[in-house]
Amino acid sequence: MDLVSALVGLAVLLAATVALGVFLRWRQNRPRRHIPHEIVQPERLGADGLGENATLLQFSTELCARCPGVHRTLAAVAAAHEGVRHLDIDLTHRPDIARHFHVLQTPTTLILDRDGAVQTRFGGAPNRDVLELELARLTSETATHV
Amino acid sequence: MSDAPARGIDPRGPRFAAGITSFLLLVDVLLGLTGLSTARADAVWFAYQPLADATFIPGAEWAIRYASLAQRVLDPAFLLLLVIALLFLWGVLSPRTAPWGVLYRKAVQPRLSPPTELEDPRPPRFAQGVGLLVTAVGLMLHLVGVPWALPIAAAMAFVAAFLNAVFGLCLGCQLYLLLQRMGLVGRERAAA
Repeated sequence: MDLVSALVGLAVLLAATVALGVFLRWRQNRPRRHIPHEIVQPERLGADGLGENATLLQFSTELCARCPGVHRTLAAVAAAHEGVRHLDIDLTHRPDIARHFHVLQTPTTLILDRDGAVQTRFGGAPNRDVLELELARLTSETATHV
Repeated sequence: MSDAPARGIDPRGPRFAAGITSFLLLVDVLLGLTGLSTARADAVWFAYQPLADATFIPGAEWAIRYASLAQRVLDPAFLLLLVIALLFLWGVLSPRTAPWGVLYRKAVQPRLSPPTELEDPRPPRFAQGVGLLVTAVGLMLHLVGVPWALPIAAAMAFVAAFLNAVFGLCLGCQLYLLLQRMGLVGRERAAA
């Protein structure tokens, strides 16, 4: 292959990689709401209970570079809101839980409402503003229902 | 949380290393695209091997088929990818002494503010293992004479390293969960 075509190939590779990165970053800040609104039983996850108003349910593995950062963010969000609890479930030794919730990437974060029903799903590392917005939407919605 | 070691590493270190690695991999893709791996078997190559006239051999149009093992090894793209693979191996065996990590701690970290948070060293080490696997497969296929194997393997490793360096995304981590779900890594903890 001559140098010019090789450089064109290199430029295509670089552009495709940047596009993939932008897409993946965009997707992880996008809440998914059209998901099965299953009621989560905390005992099955090894937790003693859920949050009073909402629960931030995080799935991690041991070999997940971004999970500790998301853990800190979610813990801070939970600490800043009354009745919001953060649970971090390590899937490293629990493929059954990963299968049950169809987790294909870690971190994955589910936001549960006051009844423990899954309302929103985030794949990846969402930023704090997006999480706050989603939490506010959820708690105001449950408030109007009551 | 799990039994993570109390002492973590500066998360900017692995990203710095991934930046250098992705640059080297990009250079290697260029060498692969202009080198033996993708070269056509033109008149020059046929001059050494004047036998392929009537019989059809699959892949006969690629120069790498007619290259000797020494020629395949001495291809610049092969040599550079070999160096990169050895650096991946170093990162798996001894992350503390791996060259780019040492360079980061000696030359870069003192100029930056102290890290706001420390990270578990196991995920970056796992990612080095994934890089080693991908580049090793490319090297092997090149040695047995598969055209395009080298630049494609280098390009795959480049995508992963570049996404890590620039976007902080970790493809290896996603791969880990898929492997685990297939039951290849990790173990279900025995019921207590």
